[in-house]
Formats: sequence, C-alpha cells, structure tokens
Amino acid sequence: MSDYNDRARADIAEANPARVITPIMRKLVADAGVMEGRARPEARQRAEAARAEAVERMAELHEQLKERLEARGIGYHRAATAGEATATVRRLLGDARRVAKSKSMVGEEVGLTHALRESGIDVLETDIGEYIVDIEGRGPSHITAPALHLNRGRIKEMLERGGTTLPDDDPTRLSRFVRDIVGDFFADCDAGITGANAVIASSGRIVAIENEGNVSLGASHPKKHIVITGLEKVVPDEAAALAVLEVLAANATAQPLTSFSNVFADPAAGQERHVVFVDNGRSGIAADPRYRDVLRCIRCGACMNGCPIYRTAGGLSYGSPYMGPIGAVLSPLIWPDGRYADLPFASSLCGRCTEACPVGIPLHRMLLDLRADAVEAGEAGTRPEKLGWKAWATMFAGRQRGRIASTVARLGAGRGLHAASGELRAGTARGEENAAAFVPVQSIEPESAPQELEALFRHRAAALGVLVVDTVEPMEGDRLVDATGGIANTGSVVLTGENSSRRSLLGAQRIVVRLNREHIVRYPTDAGGLLGDGEALILTGASRTADIEKQIVRGIHGPEDLVVELT
Amino acid sequence: MAHVGLFVPCYLAALRPADRQHATRVLEALGDTVVGIEGYCCGQPAFNSGFRDDARKVTREALRAAQPFSTVVVLSGSCTSMVQHYAPMLWDGPRSTAVQRIGERFFEFTQYVAGHSHLGDLGLRLAETIAYHDSCHNRRELQGTEVVVSLLESIEGLDLRRLQYEEECCGFGGTFNLKFPVVAGGMAGSKLADVRATGAPTLVSTDVSCLTHLERASGGEMPEALSIAELLARALPE
Repeated sequence: MSDYNDRARADIAEANPARVITPIMRKLVADAGVMEGRARPEARQRAEAARAEAVERMAELHEQLKERLEARGIGYHRAATAGEATATVRRLLGDARRVAKSKSMVGEEVGLTHALRESGIDVLETDIGEYIVDIEGRGPSHITAPALHLNRGRIKEMLERGGTTLPDDDPTRLSRFVRDIVGDFFADCDAGITGANAVIASSGRIVAIENEGNVSLGASHPKKHIVITGLEKVVPDEAAALAVLEVLAANATAQPLTSFSNVFADPAAGQERHVVFVDNGRSGIAADPRYRDVLRCIRCGACMNGCPIYRTAGGLSYGSPYMGPIGAVLSPLIWPDGRYADLPFASSLCGRCTEACPVGIPLHRMLLDLRADAVEAGEAGTRPEKLGWKAWATMFAGRQRGRIASTVARLGAGRGLHAASGELRAGTARGEENAAAFVPVQSIEPESAPQELEALFRHRAAALGVLVVDTVEPMEGDRLVDATGGIANTGSVVLTGENSSRRSLLGAQRIVVRLNREHIVRYPTDAGGLLGDGEALILTGASRTADIEKQIVRGIHGPEDLVVELT
Repeated sequence: MAHVGLFVPCYLAALRPADRQHATRVLEALGDTVVGIEGYCCGQPAFNSGFRDDARKVTREALRAAQPFSTVVVLSGSCTSMVQHYAPMLWDGPRSTAVQRIGERFFEFTQYVAGHSHLGDLGLRLAETIAYHDSCHNRRELQGTEVVVSLLESIEGLDLRRLQYEEECCGFGGTFNLKFPVVAGGMAGSKLADVRATGAPTLVSTDVSCLTHLERASGGEMPEALSIAELLARALPE
C-alpha cells in the first residue's frame, strides 16, 4: 500500500511544492479558460463525443486500424501487460543500441526506459522536462510538465552533476543546454520511441503533438520509429482526432494548438515504423460501466492544474506515474493490487477536476466509487475506523438517536479538534506563508478578434510570433514550403507530404510557408480535408519549450522564425 | 405561508446550536411555519469514506424523517448535495428513483430564502463589511453561487467582498482534513490569506463545516465566521 499522507507530509515540509506550483497553476488555469473561450463554441462537446465513441467502439476500431496500418507497412502490436509491452518494444528494437525517447505517459506506466536500460540499451529522454527528471530519478510530477516541481536553481544544480558549470540559471540557457545534448544524440541514434495522442482507424495514421520538435526528430530521423500508446487511443477518423486536438493544448498549456501537431503515415524508404498498443488493465476498465469513461482521458492535465490537493502537495506525493485526480482514479484501476488504494481518498471532493475535464469524465464521482471498492476489498479503513462507522450508524439510525447523537457528535467534534490540530496548523502556517510570497502574474487578456478569416489568421499568427507578409525576401538557409491550407483561429499552417518533411523543416534557419488565402478554414475541426492522406504537419508557431518554470523559450529543435507568405 | 421542515445537520447541532434559532427567525419572518428535523445525519461522512452500508442506514432514517414535508430547508449546501445527488447512489432501481424524488424537496437554506415570494417584504438591512466563502458543494453541486451572491447584494448597507480565488477549496472535505491534515492545512492557509486580503472583519458561508475548519486551521486567529442564517437573522429589522 502506498502512503500518500506520509509522502505529502514529507514533501510539504521539505520541498514545499505549492510555492512553485500554485502561482503557475493559477495563471495557467486562467489562461486556459481564455483559450478555451476562443475555441469553437462546441469544442468540448465534440471532443467528448469523439472520445466517447473511441471507448465505446474500441474493439471494432482496432480491427479496422490493424488493416490500415499494415497496408501502410506499419507494424500493429498489442501487449496485454506492462511486461509484455517492454518486451515487445525490446524485440522490435532488435540490434538498436542508442534510442531517443520522447515523453510518453504509457512509457512511464510500463517502466519502459528502465526496462530498456536494464537490457543494455542506451536510452535518452529527449523531452527537456523528462531529461531533467530523469537525472533527479523520482519521475515526472506533472502529466505534461514533468519538471514542474523544480525551480530553475534546482534544475541548474542537476544539470551540473555531469561536470559542466553553467554561468546562470536562466531558463533559456538551461533549456538550450539540454537541447544541445539531445540534438547531438539524435545525430547518432538507431531508433526513436514516441507516444501518440490519437491513432486514426479509418486512415491508419498516427497523431502526436509536441512543442519542442523532439517527437518530429524521433519519428523521422532514426531508422526505426516505435510508437507506444494505450489501447484506448484509437479514434474513428480525422475529424475525431482534430476534435481532441482542439481542446487538448488549450487545457494543457493554454496554447491554441501545440507548435507541432504531427500526423505520421507511411514509413520513409529504409525506415521501419511500429505501433505498440498497451492494454495493462484497460480492457477490464472498459468492461466496468462505473469506470469506463476514464478511458476518454486525453492526458491534458486540466484536472491536476486546478486541483488544490495537487497544488499543495505536488505530483510526486502520489507515488504513481499518474498523479492528480486522474492519477487517483487511474492508478488503483491499472494496478488493482491495493498499492494505490489510498489515492482516491486524497481528495476533498471539491469537484473542480470534473468541472475542468474537457471530455466530461466525472472524476470526483469515480473517486467516491473507488473509495467504496477499497473498503469492500479490505484495502482501506483500519479496524478502529470500521468499528467507528458501525457505532456512528447505530447512533444515527438506532432508537437512541436524538439526544445521544448530539452529545456524541459534540464530544467527537471536540476530540477531532484536538487530535488533528497540530498537523493541520502546521500545514496552515505553510499555506499562509506561501500565499504571502505569491506575486500576481500577468495572464492572457480576453480580446475581441476579427471575424473575417484572413484577418483572424493574421491576428492569431501574430500572437504566436509568426510573421505574416505579402512578399518574402528570400534568405540563405530558408526552407520554403507550400501549405495546403491554414487555420484562422489558431494561426496554423497545414503542410502535407514532402512539404511536411521534418528533417528539412527543423534543419532550416527559417521556415517560409506560402499559404493561399483562399485555403484558410476557421477551426482545427474544419481542417480534416487539408490533411491529405499521408504524412502531415499542422505547424502552430515555432518550436518552443516551457519545461522550466513554464517560461517560454523559443527555437528548440528547429528555427525560431516562421514566416507565412499569403498568396 | 408554507410549512417547512428545517433540517439541522448533525455537526451544526454540535458546533453551532444557535443557528437553528437564527434560521427559524428568518423563515418565520417570511411567514413560514417551521418544524425542526433534528438528530439526523444525511449520511455523507460514511458515504464519502467508502462505508456505504453504514451510510445507507443513516441516510434512510434522515429521509424517513423528512418524508412528511413537501419542503425541507437544509442549513448546509453539502448535506443538500448529498441528499440530492448522492443518496440515490445508495439504492438501485425504483428505490433509487424514489430517493431522488424526495431529494427534489430539499433546498439549501439560502436558495430557499432567495426564491421565497415574501423575500421583498423582509427589509434586510445590515451596515457591515463581509467576505463570502463559496463552499464547493454550493458552487459545483448546487450551482448556487450567483443565488447566494445576489441575496447578499440585496441586503441594504452590506459591503460584500468576493474572494480573489473564490473557486478554490478551503480543504475541509469531511474526513479528508482528518486523514490528510497537513494538505488540508495548506489549503486552509491559502484560503485564509485570500480572506484576510479582503480586509473584511467577518466571513460568511452557507456551510458551517468549512468555517469551522478554517477556525481550527487558524487557531482562532481569523475574522469572525458566520453562517448565512446568522447573518440574515442579524439583517432582519428589529
């Protein structure tokens, strides 16, 4: 049995995660609200419907997908357990020795990096946040921002463990330092492992979003690309995948879309591509009507961003790869041996997670059901607690109710007041001290954007730092590509086929995209027809990271400058 | 002229027994006749702790006691939410539907007062400055925030200050604060800082459970904490 309370108490006393997390999350949640307000009005309903269909039709979608993937020459694999998943990836890697891995929650779940290293493979975590927490050795503390619990000073210390001395702890410097290490590794590696946000049954394409460019590199640079993902990630079609993207980045990072929304299709000549679908309890969850809907989860992190328990005690206290409210629900379902039976109790049931979830998962109600399950299975509730509830029930339901009840309640309240007061007050002192240190941060202001498509595109692209012009002066090192279309509301351009080749885009000094103004659609969910039928890329601003204190650093793997020429 | 059952939550009887009188004064001023439903518990403590069999026995008694009333006024948003949204989960089929129907007769005190046809005749007036703590169950389960705020704003002379982070939980959470006191304390500390920032000498909420938690967490070093029933009673004309 894990012990959330002990870990939370220790983390609050030592690391005081709230000091770092709370101000960041207050800002992120406010910004995410503004971004969602800008999205398509029924974006949440569309995303929820897409995910609900994926869960309802899981078995049938997999049959269709398997055929489509194999027609493209992509390997379809299924792993029933965590052990089978790591063994399958190991087998597919063959004689590969140097493996570049990008962030994957399923990878964390099955212990992929650890298992591959045990078998002698040199695995590098290529996401900047993952690279940092890999040095720390305690795992990610947030589903989309792994190093959220660490401030720049701690990160500098960790990066210097390799023997380098860094002149200061500026997030740009620290991010670029990791970027260079990762870039060198990509220049000489045998395989890339990435996750997926959706796999499209009707077309056999894989959707993976990112900001840095390491997923792009991992999928296109090495000779082998292995995708590891959960069984539930298969969606019926492009429209469903786009509906997920439309709410994902807004909630995860308050972006309109992430910088790169990758659509991977046929492997390049001489390249191998495989998808490993991990079950690890998901079939069982899908069969239980009380918990099935948790499989809708798109791993955006909105539930933990708003969660006061997560903010106070941080993500590491959960002791699970999945933290926050979604972690408190998923962990005991994926590992039903009782080790996470206390996590569903680590919630005040304030309901903010359910309110925040963009795909309508009733998280706090699931926590209530999981508590009842834990009690029934004998995994929660000490003997005195059991006897206590029995006595309580007799008191309020028995014949002697009334005076006895209120007397005992008064005594009980008095005792409770004393028993917990020391620790409660220690926590309160911490909370007040933290609050005093919080500096209000600027958030994205609501605005009235132009309605007309071209004007809206220009407006949104400008907000991303994209230069939109009528004629481009060519420069040395430009990569000039034609877009199949643009998305006005997110300031994105859509590239397909050779135009979406990551190798040439990321190696350029500057990306110049020619966009026909007649081919601009309003919302991501209108862009299905622009994606072609092979490789595609929705580019929304330049490569960037915000893995250190959520400070934005532009130009990670790929140029800082993106220019759009409207024709 | 309505005949209402006033459901006094178990903890309220223990912690703030006078609130029953405050609420009765307000309801009587509205022209209602009030009968107390006391010594019962909605069952939430055991339900939230996963002990559903024990909860069922206790909830059943509370519902039975409320049965004779077509309107039950509850001095807690949290207990109202338990009866309306969660009690039906304790039974299956037609019994669950029947419980749901009983739940529809339950109203959190403020919601009931705010919707009362004689509210305009009360002449509520109070020259005080208060901060408002929105309980999570009032806010998210009952969607009651705007109703409470509008009612408070209608009190003549009252200076109402909203919290900057009104949507954040205070850390009470029933047995949560006993099981995870340091985490609950951290949440309370954050809430107390927000309350103090308003500068108001009084904090008002629909839920005394939250207020008591904040009092415990602060060691008593906080603004005066009042239930909304007590505040409205104070605002009645002499």
